[in-house]
Amino acid sequence: MNTPNIITRRSFLDRSVKLGALGALAALTDIPFVVKRALAEGNIGGNGKKLLFIWLRGGNDVLSSIIPVQDPAYNASNRPTTVIPKDGLTDYSVGNIPCDFPVNSNAAAATFSYNSAIRLGNGFAALHPSLKFLAPVYNAGDLAVIHRVGYPRQSRSHFDSQNYWENGAPNNNFEKEGIFYRTMLEAIQQNTAKSTGLTGVTLQTALPLILRGSQAAMTNLTDPLRYDLLGIPNTSTNANAKAFGAVTNAAPFAFPDKLNRQLLSLQYANMTSTLQIFAAIDFTENGNTFLDDTALDGESAPYHLFPTTSAKNGGYAMHGNDTNKYVVPSNSAALFSNLKAAALILNRTDAIVAGTEFGGFDTHSAQGGATGAHANLQRQVAWALYSLRKFFRIYGKGGAQEMAGAQIGWNDLVIVTLSEFGRTTIENNSTGTDHAEGGGMLVAGGAVKGYGKPGATTGVFGCHTSDSVPWVNGPAGAAPANATGSMFGISNRYLKRAYDYRSVLGRIIRQHLGATQTQLNRIIPGYANESQEHLLSGGTVASPIESGSTTTAIMGEPDLLV
Amino acid sequence: MSATVSVALSPSPFHALTLPLSPSRRLALAGAWEGGRSGERHGSRAVLRILTFIVLACGAALRAAPVPPVPPSVSTLSRTGSVVTLRFTPFPAAQQFRLLSSTNIGSPFTADPAGTLSGYDFTATNPSPVRFYQVEVTPMSSNALLGSIALNRLAYGPTPDEIERVLTGAAPIGAQAFINEQLAPETIAETGVNSHTNIAFLGAKMAGPSDVVTSTNANIADLGAWHVLRAVTARRQFLEVLLQWAENHFVTQHSKSSTYVNGVGAVVQEQIATQFEFLENDRWRAVLLNPTGTFLDLLRVSAESPAMIIYLDTVTSRGAGGRIANENYARELLELFTFGVDNGYDQTDITTLSRCWTGWYVEKVAVADAFNVFATALPGLKSTNVGVWAFNFRTSYHNTNSKSIFVGKTVPARFGAPWAGRNYQLNIPVRTGTNGIQDGYDVLNHLANQPFTMEYISVKLCRLLVHDDFAHGYDFTDPGLSAEGRLVKQCMLAWEDGTPKGQMRAVLSTIVNSDLFRSHGSAGHKVKTPMEFTVSTIRALRTSTNGTANPGTFSADTDGFAISGGLGSFNRSLAPLTRMGNMVLFDRDSPDGYPEDSPGWISAGTLAERLRFVQSVLIATGQSGKSDAGNNNVTSPLGLLQAKLPLQVPPGSVSNATNVVDYFLGTLYAGEGRANLDLYRTAALNFLNTDDAGASSPFSALTVSGTAGSTYDNRLRGMVAMLLTMQRFQEQ
Repeated sequence: MNTPNIITRRSFLDRSVKLGALGALAALTDIPFVVKRALAEGNIGGNGKKLLFIWLRGGNDVLSSIIPVQDPAYNASNRPTTVIPKDGLTDYSVGNIPCDFPVNSNAAAATFSYNSAIRLGNGFAALHPSLKFLAPVYNAGDLAVIHRVGYPRQSRSHFDSQNYWENGAPNNNFEKEGIFYRTMLEAIQQNTAKSTGLTGVTLQTALPLILRGSQAAMTNLTDPLRYDLLGIPNTSTNANAKAFGAVTNAAPFAFPDKLNRQLLSLQYANMTSTLQIFAAIDFTENGNTFLDDTALDGESAPYHLFPTTSAKNGGYAMHGNDTNKYVVPSNSAALFSNLKAAALILNRTDAIVAGTEFGGFDTHSAQGGATGAHANLQRQVAWALYSLRKFFRIYGKGGAQEMAGAQIGWNDLVIVTLSEFGRTTIENNSTGTDHAEGGGMLVAGGAVKGYGKPGATTGVFGCHTSDSVPWVNGPAGAAPANATGSMFGISNRYLKRAYDYRSVLGRIIRQHLGATQTQLNRIIPGYANESQEHLLSGGTVASPIESGSTTTAIMGEPDLLV
Repeated sequence: MSATVSVALSPSPFHALTLPLSPSRRLALAGAWEGGRSGERHGSRAVLRILTFIVLACGAALRAAPVPPVPPSVSTLSRTGSVVTLRFTPFPAAQQFRLLSSTNIGSPFTADPAGTLSGYDFTATNPSPVRFYQVEVTPMSSNALLGSIALNRLAYGPTPDEIERVLTGAAPIGAQAFINEQLAPETIAETGVNSHTNIAFLGAKMAGPSDVVTSTNANIADLGAWHVLRAVTARRQFLEVLLQWAENHFVTQHSKSSTYVNGVGAVVQEQIATQFEFLENDRWRAVLLNPTGTFLDLLRVSAESPAMIIYLDTVTSRGAGGRIANENYARELLELFTFGVDNGYDQTDITTLSRCWTGWYVEKVAVADAFNVFATALPGLKSTNVGVWAFNFRTSYHNTNSKSIFVGKTVPARFGAPWAGRNYQLNIPVRTGTNGIQDGYDVLNHLANQPFTMEYISVKLCRLLVHDDFAHGYDFTDPGLSAEGRLVKQCMLAWEDGTPKGQMRAVLSTIVNSDLFRSHGSAGHKVKTPMEFTVSTIRALRTSTNGTANPGTFSADTDGFAISGGLGSFNRSLAPLTRMGNMVLFDRDSPDGYPEDSPGWISAGTLAERLRFVQSVLIATGQSGKSDAGNNNVTSPLGLLQAKLPLQVPPGSVSNATNVVDYFLGTLYAGEGRANLDLYRTAALNFLNTDDAGASSPFSALTVSGTAGSTYDNRLRGMVAMLLTMQRFQEQ
């Protein structure tokens, strides 16, 4: 790449090896700020909008999350143990209504034990009962539920498919830089980011590909509570400062070039510059005092938003330590600790993108139906979106309990879930499902154009027989070997895609984060090839994007933002 | 040792500007040329012309390196009054830089007495109006460079003793002898593992293949600690490196095995799973100690391992009676263990291949049947009967049909001779009963020596030993094939030409004797994984303070658990390896293995963890912060110095800051070159000579003391920790 090494601030100006950058950078830094803004392309980071992504690693079974309950092929013959039955008293064919449950069902089976499909109100789709906490988000119009999401020549390998979702270049194993990295790089290069040192942040064990790149460092925190240095001796704060100073001062030391030296330099600089930023935020458990503003399900008090301990998990502590009152399974502490940290970082720093991940979605065996492994994962997904919405509405900018230094409110944030593929329509012999094609995405935010928002009668995309690329029903009963219908659209086994994940992310990056179309063409190269990829406006994708004589009709960008 | 052979690129003084300069250098020169005219003198104003670059090549021991490093060039010049400041670019493995100058470009250049050199900056107070400057570099000897490469790639980093034995001692064996001995580990007496009592102690807890596992056998924390300790202490270093490579290539997951053998009690089932992992390691060790051990041998160990049969779901895979076999192992066997992703197979092959593995099972059998794969299950309840869990063949699960895999496929043209165009279809006949087990062995025998496997495994070994930029997919027929592609091809030829094929030693020998490995093609290009980082930290400071090599006498030590995690309060979730990116040994949840390359490990959070680890290790026992990385990583930098400095010629002093700093720079950064460490030296000297608040406090005035908390001890420890927190120590 010929673009100058903006990297991080001055630390590279002394490196004579990068002399080419010196001239270009000198030219940029002398321009007055006002003029720079006028020249800047796009407004990523400058418009106050932020993004939070959650990776669902392993391939989430979308057919068991966003359930095509009106498709006759979704039945107990094809999915003996994983099928979610309809509630016999509900008419799922009614459209243009909110997501609701239970309707006229056994009143004794209150929401906590509801185990039927939750009507999504578009006349075709339903939610897994463990996703019930998505209902308030959906009904506020703040949730878009997107079905049949994939990419051309879809890989069934976890590693490859995750890589393509993150590098934005399907079937390209050599692209080592991520979509959100390129998005942040645009913000840095166009000087629309408020801070070049802190743009993208993840809370997980390693920096994911989606934020990796060679010219700027994104930050990954493995444990926000341990994000500082010790110093020797440890008892003297001066010693810590001396040690920290030594590390920082050594950053601009020139060295002969090696393959990994630039990466190390960028990440060292990122670490030293962000250590101080995060020191000002309270990530501790004691600081986890964030409460909902409503008591759910007839409880006497609201729940904690981030269930990082048993005591803060739903109504557990309120009901004499009753594990039946958890809102999320007891192994969710790490996930919600990370989500809390991500929310605090987005709210209190200049970071534009934050993300985390959790796994377990690769349910090859013992997947379970209304309860079980898959169900437990869905509980985590639903509560995550519910609680993040409440956090930013209450503690974000303009909220009833706005935090000191709050930068954003719920309308400024979009949350998106990612998963590398969906799973097989028909169960396997181990009461689970295997890797397949079309999956799903959830997009939440105040700016989402969901149910009831002007111009929208539903928040469901891609799961209806009246879509422009319609959902085609399959046969009732046990599917024959040559079954047809959307759920058998690939190899008679896999759900065929009708959206490209890049269209969803592209819409968000452009319309929400403020990229120009030109920037987006660089961030997601497929956009620059609209005549073949059809990511923007939809169309029929054929060779050479698809393999051989395969053709796939896709719907372009869903209209999911106000 | 340096010879001075000068290669001068010297144009005539009047055409200085026409030198073949890159645009970047032209930019700098343009600034320096303001007001200057070629060939003219300007009275009192010095006109600087830069110009020639001299590279001193080293003596006869150098092989022709494929791409020599770019010679140093002057990048900036400035002049204020009579003070001239000049900056030049770094040069790898540089022992010394010198500035030479002359008043006339035709005259001999001499060392410039009127200037000072610091790092890559030269400052001169220049009385004469016109001077020409040259930068002269003396590189490290090729033997020293190769030695540092070998100690970092064929070992978990150097120890002070190994550096002396190989490079700097009274009778060093030299880099090549070190490489040769490490390639043949059976020729090395493994006395290193006697230097810590935990190794024998934990080793005795390991359960053998026919041992009934009880609660006194090793658990997974024991195995992790034992593995780490061997990495720290072994003399057969390369063997330990390769064992970790094999472990990370043929990934198995301890916790999944543990779940499978349930019903016998949570403690023992975990120990049975540990036995599975240990037996893999033990059997791979035997293969690698065999001079003709092959990749097929390693692959067979993995395929027969109960841990692998459980991990990738072969154990529940049933192919008889029309059942659909589980594809997990078949897919990963091709994608991750032999051919490499999308390298010569497709989904049909996976589906067919999956049927070959049906029947490969794990069963609890009588002790006498530990090696009998056709034995029947031990009668009685698994929770109470006394037996051994072992690889077993369950005929009732096996798909007995004939199978044809890679039907009609031929090796692509890109592989070139002798493989291109070969048909590699594998036909497996109908096999019933216990004969069915042969399906799996047919597959292993076939896959192990296909060119796809040769390519993929050679690529993985090159990534382990040279640098990260190797990938499968080269066009080996391309006349413009890169050096990396050529090396992979040579590895493949070494693989093909052996009898038997695929001898690991032949391939490894090809790599470590290649130009890419032996030169700047590999030096310093990789980043340490968490295991390499933690182990190399201990090794870098480790010598026996009384020369006996007895346990407990070392200046740096670990109990193993303090790195990989124990049970109880410092458990694996808190261990350094986990904190640095979740490198939990023997228990990875996804079969692709821990990353070998840097982006998987280097991020702000993991760097902070690495730096905390180093600081905690260097903190004295009992002091605050020690427990952050477990109390049992202990170091005594003073002990190391007291063992080594008096033996130097002339003897060094532990109160002399320069002696102390130079000693550590020489052992921690053996391959960097003394001249490139100038800035670290200055920083370290400054650290030693200032107190915690930054005020001047001469190191030589401190009372030498090894007492925890004393000023001298804290100051010394702090400086060593500082050096280990520098970026260069992350590199391999």
